[in-house]
This record gives sequence, C-alpha cells and structure tokens, in this order.
Amino acid sequence: MTLEGWVPKLGEYLALAEVIDLAFDYRGNTTVVKVDGSEVEGYIFNRNRHVPEPFIQMFDLAGERPLKILYSEIQNIKFTGKDMAAGNSWIAWLERKEKEAAEKAPRRDKGME
Amino acid sequence: MSVPASQMWAVASYVIKQKLRGRKRYPLVLMLEPLFRCNLTCAGCGKIQYPAQILRKQLSVEACLKAVDECGAPIVSIPGGEPLMYPQIGELVDALVKRKKYVYLCTNALLLKEELEAGVFKPSKYLSFSIHMDGLRADHDEAVCRDGVYDTAVEGIREALRRGFRVTTNTTLFDGANPLRMREFFDEMMTLGVEGMMVSPGYSYSKAPDQEHFLRRSKTHGLFSAMLSNPKKQWKFNQSPLFLQFLMGKHDYECTPWGNPTFNLFGWQRPCYLLQEGYAESFQDLMENTRWENYGRKSGNEKCLDCMVHCGFEATAVDQTFSSWQGFRDTVVATLTGKL
Ligand code: SF4
Ligand code: SF4
Repeated sequence: MTLEGWVPKLGEYLALAEVIDLAFDYRGNTTVVKVDGSEVEGYIFNRNRHVPEPFIQMFDLAGERPLKILYSEIQNIKFTGKDMAAGNSWIAWLERKEKEAAEKAPRRDKGME
Repeated sequence: MSVPASQMWAVASYVIKQKLRGRKRYPLVLMLEPLFRCNLTCAGCGKIQYPAQILRKQLSVEACLKAVDECGAPIVSIPGGEPLMYPQIGELVDALVKRKKYVYLCTNALLLKEELEAGVFKPSKYLSFSIHMDGLRADHDEAVCRDGVYDTAVEGIREALRRGFRVTTNTTLFDGANPLRMREFFDEMMTLGVEGMMVSPGYSYSKAPDQEHFLRRSKTHGLFSAMLSNPKKQWKFNQSPLFLQFLMGKHDYECTPWGNPTFNLFGWQRPCYLLQEGYAESFQDLMENTRWENYGRKSGNEKCLDCMVHCGFEATAVDQTFSSWQGFRDTVVATLTGKL
C-alpha cells in the first residue's frame, strides 16, 4: 500500500496532524500547501508536535537548507512524489525472486509427468 | 573475544568515568552517517529509500567532527549508505584517528581494494574496516541481491589484511538463517584472518499479541544458541560476550537506545538507529528532550517488543560489565575462556 498520488481531504475524520504524521513517514517528496495558497515541494524529514509551536522541516527539490514550516502555516499536504519505499521490502523482493524462479523453471505439462 | 586490549581499556575507563560522574545516560558508540547513497540496493534496506535530492546530499567533514565532539563517545561507527562513496572519507577517518576515536568503517567492500590501492587510508590501531558479510557466498549474495559481491568483499578483506589493517565482519541474521551454515561461515572468516566478527539479529517489528512476541524472541534465542553453543576455539567475536549471551537467552536485558546515538543529514535521530521518530538539533537536545520512557520492551511500544538488535542492547551489555561483580566476572570468564 502506498500513499503516492494521494491528495488528503481534511475534515471531521482526517485531521491535519494525522496527514503531517503520514507525510513524515512517507519516503518520497510531497507538496505542502500553505494557508496563503503558496506551495513548497520537497522531502519532509522531521516534525515536532511536542513544542509550543509545532513545526515540520523539509529539504526542497534542490536539497537546499532545511526549511522550517509551522503547523499553523499548513493547509494540506499532497503526496506528489514517487514513494521510494514502495515494493522495496525484503518480503517484496523474495516474492519477486520466487516468481522469477517459477517463470524460469521448465514447464511441466501434465502429459510429461 | 578479540577486541584489542588498548580498545578494551579505552572503553572501560570511559564507562567507569561516566559512572563515577553519576551520568545515568551516556553514549558508547556514535553512529555517524555522512551520506545515504549506496552502490548496492539490498532488499528492505531502509537507509537508501530517499528521493534523489536527499541521496545526492552529504555531511561536511566539519559537521561530522562537530557531532563527534558533541557526543564524546569513544567509538565511532561509520555506516551509511556506503561510506567509501563519501568523497572525504580519508580526511574524516584521519581526523577521527587523530582524536583517538576507535573507528569502525562499515562497508560492503565493493570499493575497498580500489581505495586501499589509492592510499586513502593508513593502518592504525584506531581504524577497523567492518565488512558487511551476511553469510557464505550464496547467502550473502542473496541478502545483498547481487551475485559476485561476496567474492569482491573477500578480495577487499585480503587486500586490507595484507596491508596491515584491522578487519572485522558484521553480519545481520534474519528469520530462516541456518545455524550450521553460519558455523561454516565463522570458520571461513577466521581462516581468512579477520580480527573478529560481529553478529546481530535483524530488526523486526509487527503488530502481534504478547505470546507471539515471546515466541519470536525464543526463536532468536534458539538460532543464536545453535550457532554459538560450543564455540570453536579459533572463533573470535569483536563484541561484548554478554551481548552474545543475551542473544542466546542467558540474560534478559532492556534496551539502551541512547547508547548508540545516530547523526546524519537530518540531525540527531530520535530515539535510536532503527526508529526515525524525529530529529534533534543538538546532541544535548537529543539526550534531554527525547521521551526515553516510550522505548524499550518495558514501555510496551510495539516497535520495540521484538527488537534484540546490537545498537539497542550491546550498550546495555557493556554497562552490565561495569555495574555488578557478576557482570564483570561473566565478561572476564567469557573473554578468557572463549566460552559463551
Ligand atoms: S550495503 Fe548496506 S546501506 Fe547499502 S543497500 Fe545494502 S544494507 Fe543498505
Ligand atoms: S528496542 Fe530496538 S527499536 Fe526500540 S528503542 Fe531500542 S533499539 Fe530502538
């Protein structure tokens, strides 16, 4: 399951803080939509909600100095970048290997058994 | 056990100093990650799954040294990514050796021979190459998802030993590892002439009932007991014997997440090398403002219940050595007799 391409619909059942947590765990770039309507695209590597003014930190697409954005400045976060972790787990790799091996193995038709 | 006496002494005097100062939490090994790039793409490796602009970045040598000085740990482990792809690796290691830090450069060794031939490193008692080896040829190549890596790593080990460097191996074992093949692997590494080996179970986490967590830990104890019981005389391990006994189920330890603090491009990682729950701006901020009570088995945190990884528990084992006569005696006996 990947969140790639997801544009969250914030409301009664989905709070901004939850979306920020998901974006923080996401291994890809996201687009932060600010309350003033401007957008910043990049990788969110940190969030801290245990301080008086909760914030996120991100590197933009050029990888320049970390930007700090307050939760109060964020309207929404879109999961626009490729999910670099999708399909890269150990289990996913084993499944791929097994499938490849099965495809390479000589076919055993019923008549030959 | 194979840790050289000078290193043992450096660690022992550091730990005793911390205890005399009444420091409850102190770091033992700094995990310094100058970059996340790697020339392998091992399945499930959480270190390399970043977008391109992050993989292109690296820490400056100054930033690395500032972290080393802030932290003060006597041992610096440089994992990554692949540290041999860090352009200033020679300069960084030189500066660490000058600071009398014991450096473990953790590498997959694909570039090791080339870097040695280029004269990037000088042999020192402070520098050890810690080569990532997950088993015999077939097992290792399978673990790193590329054929031929084992043979290249062996060539790198031979070259490093020939040039007088300290060489150790580090092995991560996952579910399904075969204890008999691992015993053969230990024979093979010792025949190659490495100074010592390090082993650890891989990190695993899944939401499961208590009973299942217990079974998983018993499975790990079973694997390590089968592998390490009746250890052969020639086997040398470059780690705390109490940690190995813990893996065999002979001790019940709690995690010490601050024992191996991690510094990388994002800052000081909270709370440990394995979990990324946020980053602190300074080492002091990490130590003072991390909610340590939320981690370790006793906390009930599901992410910690199955964990027996060296970066959480080796520091506990070392601390045990200096916390009680029993711990000290067990360590001395295992060190002198080689029995676990
Ligand atoms: S060699 Fe290490 S850092 Fe590189 S992909 Fe494999 S596990 Fe990850
Ligand atoms: S138990 Fe493992 S995952 Fe949990 S804090 Fe310790 S090292 Fe990290």
